[in-house]
Amino acid sequence: MTHPGDLLSALLDGELTAAERRDVHTHLESCARCRDEYEAVRATRDAVRELPLLDLPPGLLPTPAPARRPVLARAWTWAAAGAAAAALAIGIGLATGSAPAPMDLDTFAEHHTARVLVQPGFQTVRADVGAP
Amino acid sequence: MTDETVPSWEEVAHRYGRTIYNFAYRLTGDRDDAYDLSQEVLLRVRKGLRSYRPGSFEGWLWRITRNAFIDETRRRKRRPTVPLPEADRSAAMGTAPSADEALAAVRLDDEIQSALLALPYDFREAVVLCDVVGLTYDEIAETAGVPVGTVRSRIHRGRAMMRERLA
Repeated sequence: MTHPGDLLSALLDGELTAAERRDVHTHLESCARCRDEYEAVRATRDAVRELPLLDLPPGLLPTPAPARRPVLARAWTWAAAGAAAAALAIGIGLATGSAPAPMDLDTFAEHHTARVLVQPGFQTVRADVGAP
Repeated sequence: MTDETVPSWEEVAHRYGRTIYNFAYRLTGDRDDAYDLSQEVLLRVRKGLRSYRPGSFEGWLWRITRNAFIDETRRRKRRPTVPLPEADRSAAMGTAPSADEALAAVRLDDEIQSALLALPYDFREAVVLCDVVGLTYDEIAETAGVPVGTVRSRIHRGRAMMRERLA
């Protein structure tokens, strides 16, 4: 046979028929040039196959989405907490006749804002939460 | 994966994501490009799965991967010829038995990657699909849309050209 050329890589990759394989092997026994070529492509093939398999970088694979409540639901929670805190503070003040319990006004304002946002008709009742 | 099964996108991503990433990395030599390309492939897979019908799943997947790679490369109007980044060195440094051996191994990896990148695209693709992804010649022919004889020639000539460069 003539020099097998492309068939040398196909031999390495197990892509030849039995008859082709036999012919190539027979040729290799008598052709030093093709034996050199065979060894050269074998070494290159092995080198590429031995390249390290890189790990996937983070963030490429899908991950289960964390459970998150809708913004509206969170706003309602804040609004409810705010309303409850205000009612509790006022109630305490009325029951004891003393000054209202200290409140974090910033937090209250946030709660109130949330309540107004989600319930536009919400009316405020002024209470004495001035300086102690 | 059997031919009768239509996998979910998550299954495809987890099963093939790393291979797709390595395919893209060996073709580009750049981790960021490989990341972007892999992301694009996975997006196309997610869209494509809606109309996928059971058949040769891997053939379908690698056609999508190849097309995404070519489209993205054209879009960027450049062919990847970037040398191996530093990150690959650090990845290999921690695993070898000695520092000298590790350095030698990394240098060899660098040289092999450079030789891959020096190949014309069609040859590089054939070699990577065969030796990195592990496809058969028939599968590569189906993926690239060329006859098996062309695949055989590209792989052999690609290896021979790399050998000349590495010698």
